[in-house]
Amino acid sequence: MAVAIHGITLSKSFRHFQVLKEISVKIDAGECYALFGPNGAGKTTLLRIFATLHRPSAGRFEIMGLDGKQDRVKVREAIYLIGHGSYLYDDLSVKENIQFAIGIRGWNPSDLEIKKALDQVGIGRFAHLRSRYLSAGMKKRLSIAKALLIRPKVLLLDEGYASLDERGTAMMNDCIRGFTQQGAAVLMTSHERAKTAEVAHRVGVLNRSALTEITVKEMLEADALF
Amino acid sequence: MPFFKVIRWIIWKDLLSEYRNRENISSMFFFALNVIFIFSFSFSLDPDTIKEIMPGVIWVAFGFTAIIGLGKSFLVEVNNDCMEYFQTLPIPKGAIYLGKFLGNFFFMMSVEIVLYPLFILFFNLNISENLIPLFLISIVATVGLSALGTLFSALTVQIRAREVMFPILLLPLSVPIFIGAVEATRGALSGDPLSLYQHWIELLAVFDIIFVVVSFWVFEFILDY
Repeated sequence: MAVAIHGITLSKSFRHFQVLKEISVKIDAGECYALFGPNGAGKTTLLRIFATLHRPSAGRFEIMGLDGKQDRVKVREAIYLIGHGSYLYDDLSVKENIQFAIGIRGWNPSDLEIKKALDQVGIGRFAHLRSRYLSAGMKKRLSIAKALLIRPKVLLLDEGYASLDERGTAMMNDCIRGFTQQGAAVLMTSHERAKTAEVAHRVGVLNRSALTEITVKEMLEADALF
Repeated sequence: MPFFKVIRWIIWKDLLSEYRNRENISSMFFFALNVIFIFSFSFSLDPDTIKEIMPGVIWVAFGFTAIIGLGKSFLVEVNNDCMEYFQTLPIPKGAIYLGKFLGNFFFMMSVEIVLYPLFILFFNLNISENLIPLFLISIVATVGLSALGTLFSALTVQIRAREVMFPILLLPLSVPIFIGAVEATRGALSGDPLSLYQHWIELLAVFDIIFVVVSFWVFEFILDY
């Protein structure tokens, strides 16, 4: 299996505060890697480095074999980040937000494709509602719908279950399984061990600037991860 | 071509959002209306005085309109972290700048077109013979203002003191635009032949090219890290 995400001795400091220290990680295509860790451990920072939003202070990374610094445009073609922000425009409808987000990437999905994606995440009937009226959970579902249409080779999911109800969580896991079955790599941060165990192939615990790898079984059986 | 598609999508999004909330255009319009109203009561309306002060009054109103409107132009992009989405896109970032700039130019021109009849109404201004030169001056000056305003809006949108920083950055650099616009407008309102103030319009056009090209180039660095 090809390596989709390869972090090589990545370090990141904000001024004098070191968040990540020589983190190395390899995630294969078709694999879901779950990242656990206490608040402030640097999970989001690591995701944002792979999303090309932060430059590492030291070390380097590759996405689908492309250098994260040299081939940034091609790396960005491969990745999609579902972060803490919804990336939505309040005065555009759900459908218009999708048209814009996908259209600006150079591809115009058909109405049928948009409807199918929205139905899959359970917000099909809100297609014409302005996004300012959406709840946080619905916004998260809309982000997943965008990812379904973009079909990234690498999906970066920052606290993917946040704001989702039980059905939403199940739907999220179905989508993650769909992505990995299609050969995409998923790197997700999470605090939900049981839900994550349903989809994760490998688990990493990020604590005190260092990454420790454990199995899914160890994650479930441990009294406390950190 | 993806480059032009990006520009088209940004303009589509900005126009549609503005059409629905009318936040930017209405604040620009009412601020300018206020300026016109105050000036109309501050000066005597005899033709000589009007000819003397009108270029200044027009460009003070348009200048403040630019500060009010352009300063907010990137606010909508930070509300739901949309700037972050732009940063992760595999597209030329300059295209985003051009889309925002063209949207802002359209908003500014819309307000200016609505304001000209109000200048006629409040100052007994006769511009029927000078409409085309005035329109031309408005276009070239507004291109420069929009180019600079869009860039500085992007630069200042993430900082806490953006409302202070935006005019501090915009006004000094837009001095050549205001000088050129006021001088050319004076010529047009006086009924001078175009050849007498054409050099001011050409100066504005040169600054337009400089500001658009430099801003387009700098924007890539603003957005990419």
